[in-house]
Amino acid sequence: MISIERQQGLLLAISKRLKKKITVYAVGGTAMMFLGLKDTTLDIDLVFENQIDKTYFKEAIKSLGYKEMDSVIVYGGRANRPEMLTLGDERFDLFVEEVIDFMFSENMKKRANQTHQFGDKLVLKIANLHDIILMKCATDRLKDLDDARNIINNTEVNWELIVEEAKNQDDLGKKKAIFELGYFLEKLNEKFKIKAPKKITDKLWDLLKDKIEERKNK
Amino acid sequence: MLNISKKRPFKHMGYIEVIIRKKRKPYISLKLHLTMDIKLVLRKIKGNQTIESVKTLLNVDKNKAIYYVHRLRKAGYVKTKKLSDNKRIYNISFENRLGGESYQGIINKNSPLKIMTSEVYKIYGKKPSLEETLVYAIKSKRLRIILASLALFKKIENWGELYKLGKKNYVERQIGALYDLSRKIMRTRKMAKRFRNNSLPKQKEKFVYIIPNLRSKDFNEIEKTWKIYIPFNKADLEVYK
Repeated sequence: MISIERQQGLLLAISKRLKKKITVYAVGGTAMMFLGLKDTTLDIDLVFENQIDKTYFKEAIKSLGYKEMDSVIVYGGRANRPEMLTLGDERFDLFVEEVIDFMFSENMKKRANQTHQFGDKLVLKIANLHDIILMKCATDRLKDLDDARNIINNTEVNWELIVEEAKNQDDLGKKKAIFELGYFLEKLNEKFKIKAPKKITDKLWDLLKDKIEERKNK
Repeated sequence: MLNISKKRPFKHMGYIEVIIRKKRKPYISLKLHLTMDIKLVLRKIKGNQTIESVKTLLNVDKNKAIYYVHRLRKAGYVKTKKLSDNKRIYNISFENRLGGESYQGIINKNSPLKIMTSEVYKIYGKKPSLEETLVYAIKSKRLRIILASLALFKKIENWGELYKLGKKNYVERQIGALYDLSRKIMRTRKMAKRFRNNSLPKQKEKFVYIIPNLRSKDFNEIEKTWKIYIPFNKADLEVYK
């Protein structure tokens, strides 16, 4: 488990080893820690804007002793799996632009209005909590449902914004996004009895039907 | 009469006291002395508070209010300021636990005009210089932040660093114009000649806005010198008088 203090130390150490200044987006437990929704995380999920930045970052964490691991163990055969590096029980999941069935869109980047700079070279932007829910839906690991519950229970979620972004994802070519979100919300309801407003789920399924019809007609 | 009292500490929940009494009829009374979860307390009282306001917000007595502030401070969520009348103001927020420095904090420390932004920009592992802070303020393109940052010219000494940062961020002319403006309303450190000579606009260069579409009615001369539209009028600068 990585605590807030440990995470800060780690990011500072990485910053010192980076060869160029990079900006990266925190999307999972790390983002939740910066938003005060969690005290520890199992892994640090990061989204890079391009492969070059990811390579620099990877080199830096490798110099700290982190070793590459097979992402199939955690993510199975899913598309757009991250590169994973681990040391002891700490793990980095490194994505570039795409997180499984979702895209880290321009709107998401604009919404990330918290910036944390470590040393001179590492700028960490924290994803908006609505986008964290969407990313949790994308990665859909065992702990992700629990994290989503934590966000929903402790903050005011603007469901319209989530549906809007799911629609945006479809427009960006991520055709499974709306379905995955609907499925994720159903699982939240089944497991934790957390219900998204009915009008939101209705809207989501209507949207999905429309998109299917649209694709049929094409 | 049987009287058993058990106290069981919980991580965030104080304790539960169980009293089992046997009088005529056996009965169990369960007394709950639960203190609130510290995260819940944080959510309820975040912001600037006094002990009185903590009492009101949490609906507890003074001792309990002090206890909660103590718990929050221990977890790193509290910064305390003492007022002149010895009263304490507690700044309670999650960000306090993260530590780090913010440009906003540096501006507020050095300027009579205080700013508050929803945007969080924190820096860890180094103390940002005044020169960096000024460049950040200009790049924010926000009126109040730029206005508050004028006070930084009182303390800026490293004109070499400022020029380098200005050039890198394409704001060296903006810095020059704001410097001339600040000289009109306060005593500042003197700008290095080299900075001025290197930053003054060339003939071909066009006028640039600091904040899009905002220009001054009162400082046209500075605007012409630097080919920069200044977003303030005389009245805006009254806070510095």
